[in-house]
Amino acid sequence: MGAVAYVLLRQVKVDNLKAFSWVLFISIVAALVFVVADLSRPWNLVNALTTSFFTGKFGLFRSWMALGIVLLSVAALLLFLAALRHTTNIKMLNAVVDAGWFGVLLAAVGLLVTMYSGFLIAAAPGIPFWNTALIPVLWMFSASVCALALTELMIRRNDITKFIIRAGSGLKVAELIAVLALVNLAVYGGATAARASGWALVHGPLAPAFWGGVVAVGILTPMAIGLVSWSREIKPLLAAAAMLALIGALMLRIVVLQAGVFGPVA
Amino acid sequence: MTRLAHLWYQSRCTACGACIAACNAANYHSTDITNKAWGWLASNIRRVEILRGHRPLLYLIQCQHREAAPCVTVCLTGGSYKDVDGLVKIKPELCIGCKYCMVACIYNARWLDEETGLPRKCMEDECLSQVKAGLDPVCVAVCPAKARAFGDVDDPHSKISRRLAKSRYVRLLENKGTEPKYFVVVRP
Repeated sequence: MGAVAYVLLRQVKVDNLKAFSWVLFISIVAALVFVVADLSRPWNLVNALTTSFFTGKFGLFRSWMALGIVLLSVAALLLFLAALRHTTNIKMLNAVVDAGWFGVLLAAVGLLVTMYSGFLIAAAPGIPFWNTALIPVLWMFSASVCALALTELMIRRNDITKFIIRAGSGLKVAELIAVLALVNLAVYGGATAARASGWALVHGPLAPAFWGGVVAVGILTPMAIGLVSWSREIKPLLAAAAMLALIGALMLRIVVLQAGVFGPVA
Repeated sequence: MTRLAHLWYQSRCTACGACIAACNAANYHSTDITNKAWGWLASNIRRVEILRGHRPLLYLIQCQHREAAPCVTVCLTGGSYKDVDGLVKIKPELCIGCKYCMVACIYNARWLDEETGLPRKCMEDECLSQVKAGLDPVCVAVCPAKARAFGDVDDPHSKISRRLAKSRYVRLLENKGTEPKYFVVVRP
């Protein structure tokens, strides 16, 4: 969603997006590095991908993992071009990045990158807690909050800050509802394994990380700071809220993954 | 059409573990590396005990070689695939070790071999060689209680088809629409 934020910032003619665009590019590269680092056979990556692609076995239309690698790669390329545009002065590059279609493409890819990881785990039938369409929706809200947080930390403009405070408040409420709905559905309407995952978050071993990290630190504290900031903006407080929101988003993904367990076979 | 499948006779099984040990010996050369995914030894069969009522129920879980296998669907490179003989297999040269197939399996039938990075499961190289030579997989061959069978369920004269014809059987998690090809015989 940082890519979406970048496109929107360009629309409202924010001047200096050099650092912002490089942070986005480095973030996508870091994401790709983390993906590769998690592989248990990374040495086979290039050979396997090229062989599967040229033999028609690449699962672009059936595997979210395949789609994700393509999306991350395209996003990395687009964000690299955007970062270069704000660093160099190459006329052809400026014309491409400044074009309307580039912004639309970047925003669309950014949105899809945000959602794909939610669909990736939602489409894994082995872990019942993850098998809900609520996860991609939750990921959207959470990532949107992160995009606002990054913008607050890196962009200095009063009208942007005002927008972030107001939009952030709404998104935080939506994120809280989505998180609580996810846990509620698992605990009261889920399969056996989903219930176990839900209870692990509510009052099991993951409860401190969930209630403390995700809800209190990641959602409620930034929300409270946001509400106070409607009437009085205190820059250091807003920066702290942004950092806490980013930490909370990371904690959310960690606890959701940690909570997933396989269902019983009988 | 060939559809190779496993049969396990639950009430005849004595839980001796010979099939588990044989799988470890034949496919993994009796290695003592730990199967961390299951907290188990390096074998493609795991034992699950479910406490229900007066006595525990025993299940031996391995790859079900499902007709509609999600591990095949989610594999981005085609490394996990369904062969013409109906078995779900792995092509190591196409596997990058993303482990997505492991979380796609509702039976938790795959485990990570940390030495090779492959998500291992039932029907490894030695058993595949046995089957290709017209023999039974090692778990079937070693069972002292004759509680296992293997063969083509589309062949009415195969051992497995003849046993299924005179038995009452269930398939695990069949209600998930998985069409597993691992038949658990519960009654003769």
